[in-house]
Amino acid sequence: MSAGGGVLPAGGDHAASGALDPFAAHRSRRPARFLSALNPIAKLAAPLPVMVLVMFSRGIAVPLAFVVFAAAVLLVGARLPGRAVAALLLGTPVAALVLGVTFGVWIDPSSVTGEPAASVTLVSIGDWSFSLAAYLVGLATALRILAILLLSLIAGVTSTGPEFVRSMVQNLRVPYRLGYTALAALRFVPRFGHELEIIRAAHRVRGTDAGRGPVAAVRRALGYAVPLLASAIRHAERVALAMDARAFGAHPTRTERYRSPWRARDTVFVACFLAASAVIAWLTWGR
Amino acid sequence: MPHPPLLELDRVSIRHEGARSATPIDVSFTVARGEVVLILGPSGCGKSTLTLALDGLIPHAVPATLDGTVLVAGLDTSEHPVGALSEHVAMVFQDPDAQIVTGTVLDEVCFAPENQLVAASEVLERAERALKLVGLWSRRAENPDTLSGGGRQRLAIACALAMAAPVLVLDEPTANLDPAGIDEVYAVLRELASDRDHAVVLVEHNLDAAVDIVDRVIVLDADGRLVIDGPARETLRERADELAALGVWLPVSTLAAMRLRDAGVVLDPLPLTPAELGAALDAVPVLPAPLSASSPVRSTALSPRPAVHSPTSPHAAPAAAVSRRLGQGVIEADPVIRARGLSVQRGGRRGPTVVEGVDPARCDARDRARRIGFVFQNPEHQFIAPSVAEELAQSLRVQGTPDAEAEPQIDAMLRRFGLESLREQHPFLLSGGQKRRLSVGTALIAGAPVLALDEPTFGQDRARASELLDMLRTLNDEGTTVLVVTHDLQLVADYASHIAAMHDGRLLAVGPAAEVLAGPLVEQAGLRHPPLARATRGLVRHPSWHGVSRMSQLPVSSAAGS
Repeated sequence: MSAGGGVLPAGGDHAASGALDPFAAHRSRRPARFLSALNPIAKLAAPLPVMVLVMFSRGIAVPLAFVVFAAAVLLVGARLPGRAVAALLLGTPVAALVLGVTFGVWIDPSSVTGEPAASVTLVSIGDWSFSLAAYLVGLATALRILAILLLSLIAGVTSTGPEFVRSMVQNLRVPYRLGYTALAALRFVPRFGHELEIIRAAHRVRGTDAGRGPVAAVRRALGYAVPLLASAIRHAERVALAMDARAFGAHPTRTERYRSPWRARDTVFVACFLAASAVIAWLTWGR
Repeated sequence: MPHPPLLELDRVSIRHEGARSATPIDVSFTVARGEVVLILGPSGCGKSTLTLALDGLIPHAVPATLDGTVLVAGLDTSEHPVGALSEHVAMVFQDPDAQIVTGTVLDEVCFAPENQLVAASEVLERAERALKLVGLWSRRAENPDTLSGGGRQRLAIACALAMAAPVLVLDEPTANLDPAGIDEVYAVLRELASDRDHAVVLVEHNLDAAVDIVDRVIVLDADGRLVIDGPARETLRERADELAALGVWLPVSTLAAMRLRDAGVVLDPLPLTPAELGAALDAVPVLPAPLSASSPVRSTALSPRPAVHSPTSPHAAPAAAVSRRLGQGVIEADPVIRARGLSVQRGGRRGPTVVEGVDPARCDARDRARRIGFVFQNPEHQFIAPSVAEELAQSLRVQGTPDAEAEPQIDAMLRRFGLESLREQHPFLLSGGQKRRLSVGTALIAGAPVLALDEPTFGQDRARASELLDMLRTLNDEGTTVLVVTHDLQLVADYASHIAAMHDGRLLAVGPAAEVLAGPLVEQAGLRHPPLARATRGLVRHPSWHGVSRMSQLPVSSAAGS
């Protein structure tokens, strides 16, 4: 962003893009409940098979049950701020209902003609009609997406990027060079976002914002890509030199100040989570 | 037996892949514990390249060939990996952002010793000591992004200290910082220098900040050969003319004394700091009267009709420099603001901006480009075409100029900026100076009488900065209104006719440069007075010199006649 190549202004302010900050959770840690005490891998490993199961489910019962289950685990296991609790309890049903309409409108009406609910018409405009059956299919799709989202939040809201990396390096033998390089790369995201803003402003000044429609938009995007890539490569090279100079990769292992062991409680959590999921699936599958 | 030297270079030549000649070439010197060594040389002489060789990044991580030997604590760098050499040499680079890897200040400082397999308890001890030394211990839990530029560079120094290496190499550590950040970094470096625990090798173009902490200078010439290796103060004083002839930048106070010497006022020894200059001037019983602030040299610049008005300022601003403290948040909004207009505040407009009779926030790109040309900090950001000529043609196309008329205009602009032979070159393949000239060309070709530049000298060495400033002065003399955003106050003092000082997005003062520089507002804006003004403000014997802040105000010899 500066002459001589890709440097942020001295105040280089990424703070405003806090939503993209993979380290933000470090700053506002709340007193922990049981999810925070678990190994991040346990929190990822337990819901993962359930997510696959939900993906291949049909109907409303299975995803609905897992939406409720995941929300319950989150509410009990994590100390969420008030707004997050409200979003979970109110936002989830509203999102399901609204997304259900959106997906329902998109599906081919002929694919649900056999269903009994196809004869119940909710809205009709001219030739086109929106049947209850179509809405139910849309609703099921919306619920599947929400269930997978909430299941992934079990790991997402209670552990940070560095915790994940540390745990993978220590427990899954992921090479630390890979893990920590990925973390360093995460820092690039807000930086490039900031830089893209400047490039867009610079191009607007040059008058490239003339022209509408997809062709002009693609041309503009390509125009942004060249300077962004040039500066990204330069920045990456500098970061790599700085990491080399600080002995990164000099030894096969590195000192870990935080241990991230797999404890008995992690095994218990995974076992209980999978057992509960199996029961829920057995009760609801095919209904 | 004396300690072996910490660094020992023997006939070192480094050639970057694809480069025709080696820079530096044939350089030999040693550095012992406790020394603070400043490496000087004109731009392109290979100072930064040399620093990369001091911890083995050359030849191990950078594609370049190294001839001769570099011994670090007796280890040959070409035979030992960077990781092993990092036990002995710690680096601090120019860009604070390109050195941060982790998510908190504490993790960042621990990063290097963790890589070195230092025991966890020792890692924390080192981190605490380093962070306390740079004054960041209380902020250890924060994300480094929340620190200021100066704070992040202090963090980079703490990271280097935590490696417990006896040699600290700093490559232009303050080039990307504002004046407050430079002060912060030098406060830390001064403490390190006085401890004498480390050997410090420093590359720095800001000699005004560095001169009172270094005790030895090594000077390379333009080809990268070592020409001077001697004690700092004596070398800078006694061989100042030789250094100036080499294209090395000297402290402003020394340059001022050299100019005075030509006018018949001999200060011996030559002063190196504003304080020394002030004391030396006060020791002279009679000084000639300083030239007026708008000296004859500048008078031609004042002839064009005023072009920029703002509701707060009735003053015309033929060549204004806007100074501003770099406040977080302000910067982020700025480029967009500049793209749209000049005085749009974050969170709402307060009154219209009028440039050449129109509001740039409300007119389209075509009308705007005819009235005001923008040059962004990084010229690459503005390039949109695959060749130099196309880049200029694009600006004319926005104006709807027919191709037949465009051709001669493009040719004229290429000649004016010395780019004729590079017509078909891709803009990204130009040199830094050429890129900057092209970006100014694209901004001016539509005939804009006003040119606005965002920190055009930021992160550049002095040679390239002065090349640009001379170009801007020529444009200004030809009638273009030039508006520069910067925090380099000596630049402001030397080049600007008017100053608008800003702080936290608010305008503190607008007026002729000499008036604003004489008042208290510069400090209120979080800026530092230029070195020359610091020397003359406190003069006891010569009150008529209190307003002297720019080189052109110093008396000149009648023989020079400029």
